[in-house]
Amino acid sequence: MMEKQMAKFVGVLALIAAGSLAAQTRPATPAAAKKWVAPRTSDGKPDLQGTWVNFDSTPFERPGPGGASGAPASASEGAPVAPGSGNEHALIFTDRKPLVEQRASMVVEPASGRVPLTPWAEQQRDYALTHVQDSWEYNTPWERCITRGIPAAIFPAGYNNGYQILQTPGQVVILYEMIHEARVIPVSNTATTRPHLPASLRLWNGDPRGHWEGDTLVVETTNFNGRSMIATSAATARIRSVPQTENARIVERFTRTGPDEIQYEVTIDDSKVATTPWKVAMPLVRDNSYRIFEYMCHEANQDFMEITLGGGRLKDKAAENAGNGK
Amino acid sequence: MPDRMTGKLSISPVRAAAMIAGLLLAIAPAAGQGVARAPGYTGPRTAAGKPDLNGIWQALNTAEWDLRPHAAAPPAVLAMGAAGAQPAGLGVVEGDEIPYKPEAAAKQKDNAAHWLTADPEVKCFLPGIPRATYMPFPFQIVQTPGYILMAYEYASASRSIPVAARKEAPQADSWMGDAYARWDGDTLVVDVAGFNEDTWFDRAGDFHSDALHVVERYTPLSRDAIQYEATIEDPKVFTRPWKISMPLYRHLEKNAQLLEFKCVEFVEQLMYGPLRKQTAK
Repeated sequence: MMEKQMAKFVGVLALIAAGSLAAQTRPATPAAAKKWVAPRTSDGKPDLQGTWVNFDSTPFERPGPGGASGAPASASEGAPVAPGSGNEHALIFTDRKPLVEQRASMVVEPASGRVPLTPWAEQQRDYALTHVQDSWEYNTPWERCITRGIPAAIFPAGYNNGYQILQTPGQVVILYEMIHEARVIPVSNTATTRPHLPASLRLWNGDPRGHWEGDTLVVETTNFNGRSMIATSAATARIRSVPQTENARIVERFTRTGPDEIQYEVTIDDSKVATTPWKVAMPLVRDNSYRIFEYMCHEANQDFMEITLGGGRLKDKAAENAGNGK
Repeated sequence: MPDRMTGKLSISPVRAAAMIAGLLLAIAPAAGQGVARAPGYTGPRTAAGKPDLNGIWQALNTAEWDLRPHAAAPPAVLAMGAAGAQPAGLGVVEGDEIPYKPEAAAKQKDNAAHWLTADPEVKCFLPGIPRATYMPFPFQIVQTPGYILMAYEYASASRSIPVAARKEAPQADSWMGDAYARWDGDTLVVDVAGFNEDTWFDRAGDFHSDALHVVERYTPLSRDAIQYEATIEDPKVFTRPWKISMPLYRHLEKNAQLLEFKCVEFVEQLMYGPLRKQTAK
């Protein structure tokens, strides 16, 4: 009996809601008719949920002083695809056609489309790249199957560029297909609700806090452990293996720009690594047919063990034998 | 918004209705119960009218050491002393025994004898189901009408589970299995298949094959406790299906959040140490 009464009550509510919704969405002018408004979650926030992908052929940076598109400016920068690094495949195949128009570069600030790396960052990167076969610690955390890092987890690689976003009141959760990481982002517009973790507690992927600026989800991440890298896949060319320090402050912006698109932007502020903050922008495209499978990584990291490290020791042996005149 | 599973109308006023209903039940216990709702659960519900399981949960038992009843035992690594010793536990297996086939029982004993080299946990491999649930780490449930995400702190394991009927047989074997969820009244039922044969159930060598099929049941007891049950079926290894059950408890810390246990970096020396370049010669 109460169910029936509730049903009536709910029905009336639904009518009222439908009326107000119609009033809201009815275009006041022809210009307003063009403005697309993101659908809302049950608690009234812009709805970012769904399965999104970013198969994208845009070069990470604009061509350097050296000329050719995406070509490294110095010899050492060619190292990202050093044979035996276990990473060549990232450039060789992509398992999907690009879904969005190619832009000049994913880096949109500074206007040069180039990351203003400091000499320290380049030196760190070059050292790591020339020592990848010596030990795991010179490899990116992606090759080690630890994490692709934040924001690197959303920089497209050759494959497995799938992301599922879920929302519940007070949080947005991003499931990154690669390395099966679920990133839980507390979201509140009251700064005191969830302060960041204490500075003494640091994580590979940092500590994210979100808030809404209009219809844009803004996520600020701090508390990094300083052991990650700002980009991990060969598709990021010159930036791959550039370190990310404990002082990195990452601000990401997620904005629904249409039924099937989120504009993603990230500003990376890490003064020891780049002389100014820099920004990457790219669309994420909805793909309801995309199926995220388990990204088993560490459990079968044979390339890493046999080619990267095992291959390195075989080279050592060969060099030793050559040195002994054998 | 109509609730997909029961067809009942359920928006926020229903929460109020549920509270009133709870009150009525308390006054007159015989007055009747909702068809789809367990009489015991009076905790919060989502906008869709389901018990709200959102939160950070953890088991509080020693099933990770041994699913069966077990006494305390000395450490496997001498240097760990009392800190590495096994705590005693009452066990979580219904009827206390795991119905191994004879040859499988022998393999379990062998696994137990070689725990440190054979347990996938030691290498930081994905834990599988149900083990992920009762490892000594928290996990988070993210509940939406269409998907239930379970994020485990251990090894950043995760499962994104569609709330839907299984559409097709699992396409590939996996560590965490291929899971689909449905609501049975107030109980979340998760059907998991498509496992590989590489995970264990505990540190005592309890194991399964790639024929493993697990049905998990998450029944909320209150706002802060869930009764967890897993029925384990694997005709290659066991003579019959068997069941484990245990409560899961909500983390009540005001600042509770999942942290990282990215254990790969803790096992690199163990797994790759001999392959590191020797520089000091």
